[in-house]
Amino acid sequence: MVSLILRNLARVTLAFLVLIALTPILWTTLGAFKRLRDIVTPVPKLFFSPTLENFATILGSPTIRDGLVNSVIVVAVAVGLGAVLGIPAAHTLARHARRWGDDAQFFVLSLRFMPPVAIAIPFIVIYLDLGIYDSLGGLILVYLVTTISTVIWLAVPAFERVPREIEEAAAMEGCREAEVFWRFSLPIAAPSLFGALVFTFVLVWNELLLALTLAAQNATLPVVAASITSLGKEVPWGVINAATVVLVLPPLVFIGLLMGLINSMVRAGGPKKG
Amino acid sequence: MANISCTGITKSYGAHPVIDGLDLTVADHEFVVFLGPSGCGKSTMLRMIAGLEEVTAGRITIGGTDVTDLHPGARGVAMVFQSYALYPHMTVADNITFGLRRLGVPKDEVARRLRDVAAMLGLDALLDRKPKNMSGGQQQRVAMARAMIKTPKVFLFDEPLSNLDAKLREKLRTEIRKMHNALKTTTIFVTHDQLEAMTIADRIVLMRAGAIEQQGTPDEIFDRPATRFVADFIGSPTMNFRMGIIRNGVAEAGSIRIPLPPGRFAVAEGQEVELGLRPARMGLVAGDAPGAIHGRVVLIENMGAEGQVIAEVNGAEMSFVTKEFRRLAPGDAVSFALSPDHLHIFDRASGRSLLNKDA
Ligand SMILES: Nc1ncnc2c1ncn2[C@@H]1O[C@H](COP(=O)(O)OP(=O)(O)O)[C@@H](O)[C@H]1O
Ligand SMILES: [Mg+2]
Repeated sequence: MVSLILRNLARVTLAFLVLIALTPILWTTLGAFKRLRDIVTPVPKLFFSPTLENFATILGSPTIRDGLVNSVIVVAVAVGLGAVLGIPAAHTLARHARRWGDDAQFFVLSLRFMPPVAIAIPFIVIYLDLGIYDSLGGLILVYLVTTISTVIWLAVPAFERVPREIEEAAAMEGCREAEVFWRFSLPIAAPSLFGALVFTFVLVWNELLLALTLAAQNATLPVVAASITSLGKEVPWGVINAATVVLVLPPLVFIGLLMGLINSMVRAGGPKKG
Repeated sequence: MANISCTGITKSYGAHPVIDGLDLTVADHEFVVFLGPSGCGKSTMLRMIAGLEEVTAGRITIGGTDVTDLHPGARGVAMVFQSYALYPHMTVADNITFGLRRLGVPKDEVARRLRDVAAMLGLDALLDRKPKNMSGGQQQRVAMARAMIKTPKVFLFDEPLSNLDAKLREKLRTEIRKMHNALKTTTIFVTHDQLEAMTIADRIVLMRAGAIEQQGTPDEIFDRPATRFVADFIGSPTMNFRMGIIRNGVAEAGSIRIPLPPGRFAVAEGQEVELGLRPARMGLVAGDAPGAIHGRVVLIENMGAEGQVIAEVNGAEMSFVTKEFRRLAPGDAVSFALSPDHLHIFDRASGRSLLNKDA
């Protein structure tokens, strides 16, 4: 009986916390569909006639549209390349160079200790010299450092959790290393790798400082969103809210897609061909 | 099917050799068990034969082919692991048939062979399940089916029963031996459990610290241990050891006097030795019987059909096994003796048995 009460209490508390966490997001989403006068009323309005004006403004504005396109390109390439290079590297580290694994992991972690400005300023100089300042390629390059290292950092433990005997059993069936990796290690570690990719994605999708310092014309979405907020007194709240929604939506879509991919990978049970 | 021969096998991790110049041959159709305490190098040896570990030195041939530098998949061997090592993302049927499908064996052939092994191991009802929803015994059966379906030249088992409970262990042990009697595939089976080794092996290879201590049939290992180490490792309850001395053709240890059959042991008058008395080779006798050992019962362990009696003799404990243990109670005076020809005598320094080869 007591345990039942406790359990319900825990549920209520949890629901309350989730509500608190989600309220700003919900409020922002609602705000994205409001006209400015519905937002700046002294009494908050729950019921209003929704409008798509804000989204129209956002997607109609070339700066924001370009920012969105730039963000998608930069982040997709950086995360994609990061995964393609980082995941096999992590597997190799986990299997063949365990003693370097810890060092590699600490190195990656130590990258996070440094204030980003400390990286940004030397990068400006180098990029100006190389002539890749304010280019998507340059941004991708600097993000690759983050994505590859983060993917490795999170994927090494994922591969370590794949029992070595399973890979050995596959080798006994004649599979070479690459085949063992594709047909066994990767699908078995996939659920953990998924988390690694999502984390990496979010990290670079939200990155502001490097994008702000290394690009001017080719700004990414966080830079554009930040510039809207500094428009002065006449703050277009509805537009900001809509921009936020646009900023948050791609990660959600990305997570959904990845989740589907992994589910199908796990369910298919590896090779179907003869 | 094939014989296996290992010559001069050495394996080092760093400077320290784990296996040092080991020679071994396994005949075609033979069922050999690697037995030894944990860490003595059984798995390392097996994994080198499988190709999962490289040898530091030495050659391995299987069926006359030198496989030392071949990929594990090219050696014609199949292995069953202690942890089952099933592919968690595949169904049981896919697990079993993966190797055949990978080789491009025709679909109907794969299906037929799957039916055969599934029937043999009682897996018919489980073929569509995923491994994680199955018991340890079922998982190990799947692993065995996966090894069998490829009809390899050699089966390798690395402690396949160690993760199972006692009853299932016995059952699967019997099944593995029956399977071998039917298929006759050359088999190496690793275990640290001496009873498992005794019951299943054609030949036991008893290892100690990376070298072969003794090899022979279970009977030879049990009744003619070459060293004190083997004598101590094999048999349950374990052998009783007493420091003794040879005087006038009699082995003496405290009040114990055991006459030696002439010519059986290579011992000299007055030699200091260690005596080994197997509990299972002793029994109750009358107090005045020749070679009788007198003691006082300390504890009786009922094992059902038999009982282990632990008696105090000259201030130290000595155990023996008897069916008539129910007549005894702690505190009773008891007389027991070793059956003739079952005494073991070991050199104190080297631990080698002093039994004459032809005795
Ligand atoms: N990868 C390894 N690196 C270093 N030492 C190892 C490695 N694998 C095994 N060993 C050592 O080799 C010895 C034999 O191990 P193993 O063959 O697993 O023993 P067993 O199977 O008889 O219990 C042990 O002392 C173990 O510590
Ligand atoms: Mg082992």
